Amino acid sequence: MYYVNGSSRGWTSLLTLFCILCLLITPAVSVKRENFKTCDQSGFCKRNRAYADTALSNSRWQAPYALDPSTVKFDKGVLTGTVLKKIINTNDNLRLPMRITFHESGTARVTIDEERRQKGDIELRHGSKARKERYNEAEKWAIVGGTTVSAGAALNSDAEKGTTRIMYGPRSRFEAVIRHEPFGVEFKREGETQIQFNDRGLMNVEHWRAKVDKPADEQKEGDEAVVAESDKEAAEDESTWWDEKFGGNTDSKPKGPEAVALDINFPGYQHVYGAAEHTGPLSLKETRGGDDKYTDPYRLYNSDVFEYEMDSPMTLYGSIPFMQAQKKDSNVGVFWLNAAETWIDVTKSTTSANPLSLGIGSEVTTQTHWISEAGLLDVFVFLGPTPQDVIGAYGELTGYSQLPQQFSIAYHQCRWNYVTDEDVKDVDRKFDKHRIPYDVIWLDIEYTDGKKYFTWDPMTFGDPLGMQKQLDDHERKLVAIIDPHIKNEGGYHVVDELKSKDLAIKNKDGNIYEGWCWPGSSHWVDCFSPKARDWWKGLFRYDKFKGTGKNSFIWNDMNEPSVFNGPETTSPKDNLHYGDWEHRDLHNINGMTFVNATYEALLSRDKDEDKHPVRPFVLTRSFYSGSQRLGAMWTGDNQAAWPHLEASIPMILSMGISGYPFAGADVGGFFGNPSKELLARWYQAGAFYPFMRGHAHIDTRRREPYLAGEPYTQIIAQAIRLRYSLLPAWYTAFHEASTTGAPIVRPNYYVHPGDEKGFGIDDQFYLGSYGLLAKPVTREGQEGQDMYLADGEKYYDYFDYWMYEGPTTVTVAAPLDTIPFLMRGGHIIPRRDRPRRSSGLMKFDPLTLVVVIGNSGDAEGTLYLDDGESFDYKEGAYVHRRFHYQGATSTLTSEDVAASPGKKTKEYLKQMEKVRVQKVIVVGAPQTWAGKHEVEISEEGGKSSSGTKKVPLEFHGREGGKAAWAVVRDPGVQIGSGWKIAF
Amino acid sequence: MKATEALICLKFLAAVYAASDAPRPRGVGPEYGSDEPGTSACAHLSSYSPQTPDAANATLALPGFYCKNKGHVPSYVPFTNVNDGVCDYESCCDGSEEWDGVGGIKCEDRCKEIGKEWRKQDEVRQRSQTNAAKKRKELVAEASKIKIGIQDRLQSLTTEIEGSELKVKQLETELADVERREKGKVVKPAGGKGGKMGVLIGLARDRTEELREHLVRVRDERDSSRSRLQELESVLSTFKEEYNPNFNDEGVKRAVRAWEDYEAVARDKGSEPKAALDRDLEELTKTDKENGLDWDEYEAEEETDTDVLYAFENYLPPSLRGWLDHKLRDLRLMLIEGGILAASTDSGAESKHVTEARKRLKTAEKELDGHHKDLKKHNEDLADDFGPDDVFRALKGTCVSTDSGEYTYELCFLERTTQKPKKGGGHTNMGNFVRMERMTVDEDLPPNGKGLGSGERIVMKHENGQHCWNGPNRQTTVILGCAEENEIWKIMEEEKCIYRMEVGSPAVCEGVNGGGGKGAGGKDEL
Repeated sequence: MYYVNGSSRGWTSLLTLFCILCLLITPAVSVKRENFKTCDQSGFCKRNRAYADTALSNSRWQAPYALDPSTVKFDKGVLTGTVLKKIINTNDNLRLPMRITFHESGTARVTIDEERRQKGDIELRHGSKARKERYNEAEKWAIVGGTTVSAGAALNSDAEKGTTRIMYGPRSRFEAVIRHEPFGVEFKREGETQIQFNDRGLMNVEHWRAKVDKPADEQKEGDEAVVAESDKEAAEDESTWWDEKFGGNTDSKPKGPEAVALDINFPGYQHVYGAAEHTGPLSLKETRGGDDKYTDPYRLYNSDVFEYEMDSPMTLYGSIPFMQAQKKDSNVGVFWLNAAETWIDVTKSTTSANPLSLGIGSEVTTQTHWISEAGLLDVFVFLGPTPQDVIGAYGELTGYSQLPQQFSIAYHQCRWNYVTDEDVKDVDRKFDKHRIPYDVIWLDIEYTDGKKYFTWDPMTFGDPLGMQKQLDDHERKLVAIIDPHIKNEGGYHVVDELKSKDLAIKNKDGNIYEGWCWPGSSHWVDCFSPKARDWWKGLFRYDKFKGTGKNSFIWNDMNEPSVFNGPETTSPKDNLHYGDWEHRDLHNINGMTFVNATYEALLSRDKDEDKHPVRPFVLTRSFYSGSQRLGAMWTGDNQAAWPHLEASIPMILSMGISGYPFAGADVGGFFGNPSKELLARWYQAGAFYPFMRGHAHIDTRRREPYLAGEPYTQIIAQAIRLRYSLLPAWYTAFHEASTTGAPIVRPNYYVHPGDEKGFGIDDQFYLGSYGLLAKPVTREGQEGQDMYLADGEKYYDYFDYWMYEGPTTVTVAAPLDTIPFLMRGGHIIPRRDRPRRSSGLMKFDPLTLVVVIGNSGDAEGTLYLDDGESFDYKEGAYVHRRFHYQGATSTLTSEDVAASPGKKTKEYLKQMEKVRVQKVIVVGAPQTWAGKHEVEISEEGGKSSSGTKKVPLEFHGREGGKAAWAVVRDPGVQIGSGWKIAF
Repeated sequence: MKATEALICLKFLAAVYAASDAPRPRGVGPEYGSDEPGTSACAHLSSYSPQTPDAANATLALPGFYCKNKGHVPSYVPFTNVNDGVCDYESCCDGSEEWDGVGGIKCEDRCKEIGKEWRKQDEVRQRSQTNAAKKRKELVAEASKIKIGIQDRLQSLTTEIEGSELKVKQLETELADVERREKGKVVKPAGGKGGKMGVLIGLARDRTEELREHLVRVRDERDSSRSRLQELESVLSTFKEEYNPNFNDEGVKRAVRAWEDYEAVARDKGSEPKAALDRDLEELTKTDKENGLDWDEYEAEEETDTDVLYAFENYLPPSLRGWLDHKLRDLRLMLIEGGILAASTDSGAESKHVTEARKRLKTAEKELDGHHKDLKKHNEDLADDFGPDDVFRALKGTCVSTDSGEYTYELCFLERTTQKPKKGGGHTNMGNFVRMERMTVDEDLPPNGKGLGSGERIVMKHENGQHCWNGPNRQTTVILGCAEENEIWKIMEEEKCIYRMEVGSPAVCEGVNGGGGKGAGGKDEL
């Protein structure tokens, strides 16, 4: 879109013409790479990579860290001690307090601090007011549970000399072996090593030192261990210790070098996942070693990356420093709790178990090297063994994803910008006119009066409440954007209060920080401050943010924070936050604190809500571990191009296995105009994003689904209606995620952890626990799709019941109007088939159950239903059923799996009394039903005295490759009660 | 293959319909239900729903749920809206579509009041439409008057052209005569060594020298400006390529936008220096001598052969001289006309008689040309599309405007659309009228009738307006609906710099006379 109009020097310059042609052919949009640092440009990353090179290339390398055995203490699940760091050319030892905590949940945590900084026994340069400690509050934001200290963890007296052994975890199957010198930890499960810390000796805690302004003669003051003469230069390169310049900005670094780094090995594990958010494949690539590998480590430094590129380890808007490793039947993980800029190198090494049989029995070890600029060295270890065990334990720590409002998992219609309230109403009417359901319409920044949040442009949005009323008539919602930058303009109440109450982020000198964003000169609210959060909450009261109604919700964008004139488009690292913490210490958490404040605000916007809050909905661009508790995320400003559609799937899968499943990409692509084919395919894929929102840049053509024209509008409408009909399944999956941390769309390895062949697959996925396997088409002109069936189960085409059987790869026809979508045998899928204008209007619609019979002849599935908006579910106002079909007895039953009834259970069930099962479809019905004409139904507590009734059954035999199926229409059983249908 | 399965639901519906006639709510009219009659259960029998064997592609026998709407106009409510817990009074005023009381909803019958209100508004609409139709008639009459005027003018033009042509012919003959006469004259009106001509040449020489010097200076100035401009342009084009649009500095964005507009305009106008012209300029600035013009030569002109000949006459007696003179002149003329001898006009000076005759001819020719142009224009005008009955002939150049947001929008019929910022500043051309088309629209008609409704409408295309930053040249599609007055109802930017105007005008009230649209009052919901 921002292609260069060649400065046509006409025929005089063929070269120019050539260049123009090139620009027209290749997509000329691309990331401004020079705006973002490479590892080489990020001092601490460069230092630690160099440190690694030194360590790994030198056989005499000895890691300079040792645990002082005399300090080791184990008490009530906590092992403490002091790690000593040897300083080169001196006899000094630095004291690094170490703590290993063993949790009841089977999680272990290793924390290493630095004594001098901890005690404040250091001097800061430039008269800085920053805090002297290493940042130790990341857990305040990220961790919400799972930290009960294990009572069962115990010292094992059989420890080898020079080690300490702790047995812990469920049935003490886990074990941590702490090597004293050099310091290192091995984590074992049932005696087998799963994870190694500092095995390669790359651990590095950059201690505080005073800056010595030395003359020309170089004083050997370096700290990094005993190395060969030739390597000293690298180890002692001080060029990046102090003030660092990048892109015209200088980072004053008052605390000097303070990075922490650690190598973490996963012996025997070939695949690692996580470290979101990046654009590459789900299974992380190697970052060193040439060939097809990346050259830079995976970077985590939340940034507003304009026109980001595909297949790259470059940082994006959010960070989740959680990584899992997968090998056959085993999954383990680590969570690096650090909020500073972080880089992760990934390499793999192959060792052959038997040197004579190459390939066979060879073992791959994935080696990772974690490097953070500041803060504590603080790592959680999960020993699995299943992916769900690891993800669940991580979820227990950082919180499960929010149980969202029902509307927010339906279809969202967004555009930068719907330009007037009339425009919004017009789009709303057009959706109805074209019978395309949608739930939410969005307003980007243009609705405001001059980019001043909490105001409306009086010229274009004269009647916001009237607009919301029209939306509310059909249970629709409005989401308006509110960003953290506050326009610096006199007479604007928000900035006036921000200044007078002193609640903004400050610069290194302690004055209010001023930077540029959408409104021009702006200040940033500091949501680390409790006072700022309180104030922020007040701004959203309906009587304060006039023009917002009960069906309005919030979108938080630009919260990395995006600062147009800042280094790497974000806040300077030496800015100061509440508590005098430097921005560098907590950068990656910043976005989450802002969403947290907005979430809190939406809980109580008037007196009524103070007592009866509804579930907030907030969409965020920036995130960190824990953000999943607060709302949805999206993958930011993508492009209307096929590769971006393709990349959206591994990106969303990656979010799912990183504990943040409420994720989506802009359907249609943000920048640029999609072709109609691309738009249609994107809706087909988008129907499987947990967060499904169409969005477009202000410079693009309008592309609301009804504008596409036939056959595209029909194809898009079908995709959206497919989403709506499966909402009961989606909502149940969201409920599962909110109680167990399970992903909503699940990659192959998660569902089939024993199937090594599927570990690298990231272009197909399962929806919830329903065995629904989708592989949306993401390439232009593609008419067929190869789908990988991991197990020996039957799979049926969702749309025509064509039968497949695994394990194999099958080709599914995928003309433009078809989504490759299969149902795995053994599941029962709940649907609501009546198309409605919005999901809110489906609340009392009957359900359809699709019983998909597999090899065992059995099938099961669950359904969770509640009012979709309030917190009443916490008091029992919900329906949670398990449907079970038993092949042996040919019966389908509905059984209650709700926790014990709560205060509001009865009332809710009464409300749902009329909601019943409208249809039962049995796919893969046994041929013996051919002569069957009716089924017998019995319902618990049925009012009908007879107890049972008979309802017709319709059977359709096998037809070619299509499975036999049967249908029972209107069995009349209630969704909220127990019943049995005997076939 | 799916079609056969599709029938299943329908067949089944029919069965259920027959079987469950009794519980069907009363007074709802005929409907094909499904699992339940009159519900939306089979609403998924739509090509817009996922196509599965149990609910395959099928066409419903009825377009929706039938609302009797007693006291108002009956209508069909889309199945999607039946029993969804919302009263759809705008299409089902009797509330019968919510017969199941979903979620406790009760939709009372409001047909009485809604119908009453509707009839009241309908009356206004009818009246307004009658007026509009009347106005259209007036417009058509006016258009036809204008047309007749043009036709009349065409007729008189034809006569005038004939007259002018005659006159031109006469004058041509006259000029030829005068020229012929003058060509033969040996005595030239002016000239002579050191005479007036000499002075003139002297002056001319100084003058050209002066002009040449100035030209050289101006060219130098131009060259330096041009190189500065190039430098600036390259600065700006680099700026445009390298700036980060994400640093959304309004000033920067505005500058880039202005640069792009500038660039587009410059490209259109072809601002590139033309080498040929430069070469000409180069030639022009050489000294006159180099250009082959030697003033001295003219100042010191030698006597030619003819001069000698004329001198020779002086020796002859006057009578003979007169005869000879006459004969010589004839001979000369013969030679000149035969192309053997050059005419004496090459001295550059023409006799006053010739000049005047030529002037008269020029005037006459110009007049004739003007008449031809008028003729062509009027003929084209007559052939132009002014819509049915030529009606827009009467509106050409009539402007209507409306305020929307920060701007006032103006439409001048058959001319252009314009956006004018209220805060002041330049007007933006949103497109020049290019043609009329027809378009099928399907819009809800607001109660006041000021809307497009459904059906085929006349559309005016406006293209090639001001170029748009990061977009096309501005375009406006004006869609016309029948109304009593010319007025802009709605203006939307459908895509970047592509506008849609909905405009009311009596001019399009063709055949609209009390219910032109089907299903009176836009009740045709489906």
